[in-house]
Amino acid sequence: MNLYQPHLMRICEITDETVDTRTLKLEFRDPAVAESFKFSAGQFGEYSVFGEGESTFCIASPSTRKGYIECSFKAVGKVTQALRRLAVGDTVGFRGPYGNHFPLDLMKGKNILFIAGGIGLAPVRSVIWTVLDQRDQFADVTIVYGARSVGDLVYKRELEEWTRRSDVKLVTTVDPGGETPEWKGMVARVPTAVEQTVTSVENTYAVICGPPIMIKFTLPVLLKLGFPEERIYTTLENRMKCGLGKCGRCNIGATYVCKDGPVFTAAQIRQMPQEF
Amino acid sequence: MTNRFLTHENLSKLVADLVAANTRVIAPVPAHNDPQKIDYATIQKLEDASFGTQLPRRSAKEFFLPTTEVLLRYRDGKNGFEVEEVPTTAKPQVLLGASPCDVAAMEIVDKVMNWDYRDELWFGRREATTIVSLLCSKMDDTCFCTAVGLGPDAVRGSDAMLMPIDGGYFVRVVTEKGEALFKNYGTAQLSDAMYAQARKSGEEAHKKVETNMPAIPADFAAALARNFDHPLWKTMALRCHGCGACASVCPTCHCFDIVDEHDDAQHGVRRRNWDSCQTQRFTVHGSGHNPRASQTERFRQRVEHKFSIYPSRFGEILCTGCGRCSRTCPGGMNLAEVVGEFRTLAVSAQEGSAQ
Repeated sequence: MNLYQPHLMRICEITDETVDTRTLKLEFRDPAVAESFKFSAGQFGEYSVFGEGESTFCIASPSTRKGYIECSFKAVGKVTQALRRLAVGDTVGFRGPYGNHFPLDLMKGKNILFIAGGIGLAPVRSVIWTVLDQRDQFADVTIVYGARSVGDLVYKRELEEWTRRSDVKLVTTVDPGGETPEWKGMVARVPTAVEQTVTSVENTYAVICGPPIMIKFTLPVLLKLGFPEERIYTTLENRMKCGLGKCGRCNIGATYVCKDGPVFTAAQIRQMPQEF
Repeated sequence: MTNRFLTHENLSKLVADLVAANTRVIAPVPAHNDPQKIDYATIQKLEDASFGTQLPRRSAKEFFLPTTEVLLRYRDGKNGFEVEEVPTTAKPQVLLGASPCDVAAMEIVDKVMNWDYRDELWFGRREATTIVSLLCSKMDDTCFCTAVGLGPDAVRGSDAMLMPIDGGYFVRVVTEKGEALFKNYGTAQLSDAMYAQARKSGEEAHKKVETNMPAIPADFAAALARNFDHPLWKTMALRCHGCGACASVCPTCHCFDIVDEHDDAQHGVRRRNWDSCQTQRFTVHGSGHNPRASQTERFRQRVEHKFSIYPSRFGEILCTGCGRCSRTCPGGMNLAEVVGEFRTLAVSAQEGSAQ
């Protein structure tokens, strides 16, 4: 099989997360691939609509659940708009999994603080469920999730489920002005919510993903709280075509997001040239 | 490996036999739209070729990484889309009389094409091709192959090299593939005079390029990475139009795009097309954010990739010193000058720290 040959996948479920964000649940058409396919939380793939092209997203479902994968996307370009036009039963292509992953082995027995903004919850959600599916192997799980407005929060049913669980501490927040009369969560930007939620960094890893502006202002908060840079993990995105280190798009200096990443520590990111 | 001597007639017979056996033979020929210029193209007989006149306008990479190639074919059938793979094996071909800079490039690009994931489409063509280079005598003051560890007589990537001597060609055989190609042609009885003449022409050619640029030191990669934010990038990039002509003619530039094309409502292909990091849309995100937003960043990317990033990942410079980018650039940019500027900076930084 040549490198650029995708697996064929059937859309088995479509969930609208927000006005413009959608989640597709995809199952492998070939039962042998469904059986053998493995990935780790944090890895990504090239999803394609035949006739329109390929697009890069993380795998948003947990690595603990077999036989299917999920992706969440905003319809912003040619491929994502075409993906949005597809219905249950339609076929898409998938190449992957590519890239590195979150080091869950390192995090075993430790507390994990998840921080996400907007659709940045997609890769974090993969880690959250992977952790929750093996809940006894991890200590405290805290999730701080924010969006511009209540309408921009994704995975709403899962947010409700995490709220109900006694073994998860979930804090949801929306930017000032983004709240509705019924909103019960915080009204604050993510960095502020983190500052008000986190009391101890002892024995804790942070996993953070969101818009660059959110990461930019949350990192100093984490450092001030006392997180060592090596224990803050995030996932970067850059435009990709191959996902395999060949097409020349995603590098930041000598670092290839597709092969060295997409998961990096804050320490690694600080050493990169400011070109992302 | 056994070196050989071939007369022009011997070589002509070799080409005729290859063509008769349905093997594609590619050689430098007068360009179809401008006979003053040279292109690599398929030949039917040796007389079609134009050896040793000037460097072809474009490198030979298109015979390994075509300007456009089909990655897969899709069809919308009764049960949804089906995909048909394309073969990764290629038909045998012989690249004859190629410039040593173009030939060395193939081995350098092999490294990224085999970086954890093996690109079978590239290697299918690499394996199917026998490469016979020609000792270069076409150098001008833009060439700097000797500065990147190569030379007009470098056999890197060649299965054999032709070196013109009195009465024909001294054939320096480098690999089994080269041996197999030439074994039934010419003679293996070589005189000391033939060896001496071949060696001398090689050395003379080497000397002609050497004066263009001193060898690039191993620590240049690190020096360039350190100067990532130097204001010189901006000044130099002012001349860059972002057209990507440099990448198009370059033997080592290999960036590509992947796009789908409909044939009709049910059928189509996914293609890989040449692309260039110099164009504005190359890295733009779906959100509109562009990490390499200005031509300064894009120009820096090309130079850093060749002289810093590739060396740090693969241990060698992604440039063979062919000089085509400088000859082709509509903005009159000159890669040798750019390298020179940063070398001066690196040297003065060293002197500064020594004081």
